[in-house]
Amino acid sequence: MTPHIGDSYAERNARERAQALLDPGTFREVLGPFARLRSPYLAAQGVAAQSDDGVVVARGTLGGERACVLATDGRFLGGAIGEIGGAKIAASLELARRDAERGTPTRVVLAFDSGGIRLQEANLGLLAIAEICDAVVALRAHQPVVAVIAGRVGVYGGMSIVTALCNEVIVTEGARIGLNGPDVVETEAGADEFDASNRPLVWKATGGRRRFAQGHATALVADDMPDIRAAVEEAFARNRSFVAIAHPDFPDPALEREAFLRAYGVTP
Amino acid sequence: MIETLTFTYPASARVARRAHVGVVASGNCELLLEPSPEPCASVTVRTSVGGYATTWEAVLARFFARHSIAVRLEIDDFGATPAVVAMRLEQALEQAR
Amino acid sequence: MNEERSRGRAWFERFASGGVRVEGLPASVLAADAPLEGLPVRWIAVVPAPQARFPRARAGEMGIDEAFGVAAAVRGAPAGSAIVALVDVPGQAFGIREEAIGLQRALAASADAYVRARRSGHPVAALIVGKAISGAFLAHGMQAGWIGALDDPGIDVHVMSESAVARVTRMQRDDLARIASEVPATARDIASFARLGAIDALFEVADPQAPAEEEYAVVARALSAALRDGSGVRPPIDRLGRAAAIQTRALARRVRADLAAGWDG
Repeated sequence: MTPHIGDSYAERNARERAQALLDPGTFREVLGPFARLRSPYLAAQGVAAQSDDGVVVARGTLGGERACVLATDGRFLGGAIGEIGGAKIAASLELARRDAERGTPTRVVLAFDSGGIRLQEANLGLLAIAEICDAVVALRAHQPVVAVIAGRVGVYGGMSIVTALCNEVIVTEGARIGLNGPDVVETEAGADEFDASNRPLVWKATGGRRRFAQGHATALVADDMPDIRAAVEEAFARNRSFVAIAHPDFPDPALEREAFLRAYGVTP
Repeated sequence: MIETLTFTYPASARVARRAHVGVVASGNCELLLEPSPEPCASVTVRTSVGGYATTWEAVLARFFARHSIAVRLEIDDFGATPAVVAMRLEQALEQAR
Repeated sequence: MNEERSRGRAWFERFASGGVRVEGLPASVLAADAPLEGLPVRWIAVVPAPQARFPRARAGEMGIDEAFGVAAAVRGAPAGSAIVALVDVPGQAFGIREEAIGLQRALAASADAYVRARRSGHPVAALIVGKAISGAFLAHGMQAGWIGALDDPGIDVHVMSESAVARVTRMQRDDLARIASEVPATARDIASFARLGAIDALFEVADPQAPAEEEYAVVARALSAALRDGSGVRPPIDRLGRAAAIQTRALARRVRADLAAGWDG
C-alpha cells in the first residue's frame, strides 16, 4: 500500500479504502481484477475499460462481524455505474439480505465515490440502480445500511438516490452529495443558475458539512481513517432501523435566487 | 476506438505471484501481470490513444531486456506517458516478486 | 410542452377522471382512487404545472414538490389498493434550489415509498406514456413490478435528455445513432429498452394523447390482469430473468452467479 499523509481516506483508492474499513487482515475481494470483468461496451465508444469495472466487492469482518464493503473507484470514469459494477453492488446487497434472513447477518458499507450512471451504458446502469434501490430498502428492514461518502467525487445521480436511502450516512467536509453535478446544472440551466466554477458555493450548497447540518448525513468526521472507522462502528452500534425521509423545511422557492440562497444559509 | 497491440519477448525468469497495479484514468494505465509457464513474456496492450505502437514497443522492450520474466501481461491504457508506463511496470514487478 | 398536451394528464384523466382525487398534493402531481374492472387502484401522474413554486420544475420535471408529492400519494394508498404510475417525466429538475435542498432525498423518498408499498403487498404497475428519463423515472415508475409502455416514437427512455447527451458528449446525432445501434443500452426508443427485458407489454396507440376506445380497452385489460396475477409485486431484479434479458444482460447474470459462488470464499 502507498503511504498516506495523516491516514487520509480520500487519498486511498477504492480497494485500499475497503481494506482500511475492514478489520486488519480480513480483506478478501470477490470478483477482483483477475476476474477480468471489463465492460465490453466501452471500446465501441473509444473508452478504455478496467478489469474490475470500477467496483470493489470486499468481504471480511467489521468489529468482528461478517461484513462486505462495496467501494466504487472514482478515478475510473468518475466511479460511474455500468452493467458489471451495478450487478456487483445489487447482487452483494441481495446476498447480504439472504444472510440476514438466515440469521447470519453481513454488515454492508457502501463506500461510494461516483458520478452516477455511466452514460456509455445508459439504460443498463439505470436498470442496475433500480435494483440497488430496491435491495437497499429490503436490506434496511433487517439491519442498518451504512454509506461512507468521503471521496474526491462525492455521489451524484442515481448513486445519490441510493445514498439517500441508507439510514446511516458518514461524510467528511470534502464530500459532496447532490442529484445533479454543478456542471450539469450549469449546462442545463446556465451559469446564472449555478456557476460550477464557484467552488465555495458548490461546497456551501452541497458539501458534507451542509448535508450533516440538514440531517442528510448522520455523522460528519475528519478525513482520517481511525475517525471514519469509529463512525462506521457507531453507526452499526446504533442499530437504527428504517428512518423515514421527511419533507424538509426550506424557504419559499419562488423567492429570487439570491434571496432564496441567503434565506437558506447558502452564502459563499 | 480502442487499439489493441500485442508483443512477445523471450524470457526465462519466474515471478512468485501475480500483480495488479494502476488505474484506467486519464494519463494512467492498469496492469495485470501473471506468471506464465511459457518461456516468454506475452503482452497485450489496449489503449484509447492510438498510433503509438513504436513507443509501446520501445518501453516494453527496454523493460523486458532488463527483466527477463516469463509472464502474461495485460495493459489497459488511457493515455499514460512512457514514464508512467515504466513506473507501473516496475511496480508490478515489485509486487510479483 | 403545455398543460393540454401532457400525455401523463391525458392518460390520468382516461383512467381516473371518475375517481376520488387525493387532496393536498402540488398541482403537478395528480393522484386519484378509481377502480379498474372492480379492483381498487390509486393512479399517480406527474404533469407540467406552469404555476409550480419551483421555477425549474414547471414543465413536468420531477422536482422537490413532485417527488415528495408522489411519495405522499404512494404512502397514502388505501389498504388493498393497487398503485399505477403513469409515466411521462422529461427528467429531474435542474436548479440550485433543488441541489441546496437535496433533490436526491426527494427522489429517494418516492422510490422508497414505491418499494415499500410493493414489498408490503400493494401490486405496483407503471405505464410509460411519454418520457421516462433518469432520476425522474427511478423515482416514478422503475420500482413497479410490472412495466408496460406505449409502442410509440414519442417514448424516450434514457439516463439523460437527448439535448444534454449531445452537449455532454459533444457528439453529432449521427455518431450517437451509430453508438445506439452498436450498444442498444444507449438507445432511447422503447423497443431497445424492451430488448433489455425491462418491459412487460407494449401497446400500439395511434394517438398517444387520445387513445381510441378499443386501444384504451386493451391497455386497461393488460393492466388489470397484471395487477391481479402477482406481476405487480415482483422486485426489479426479476427482470434479469426475463427471456429478453438472457442475452442482453448476460454479463449481469454472470456477475450475480459468480458473486454468489464466491461470497463465502
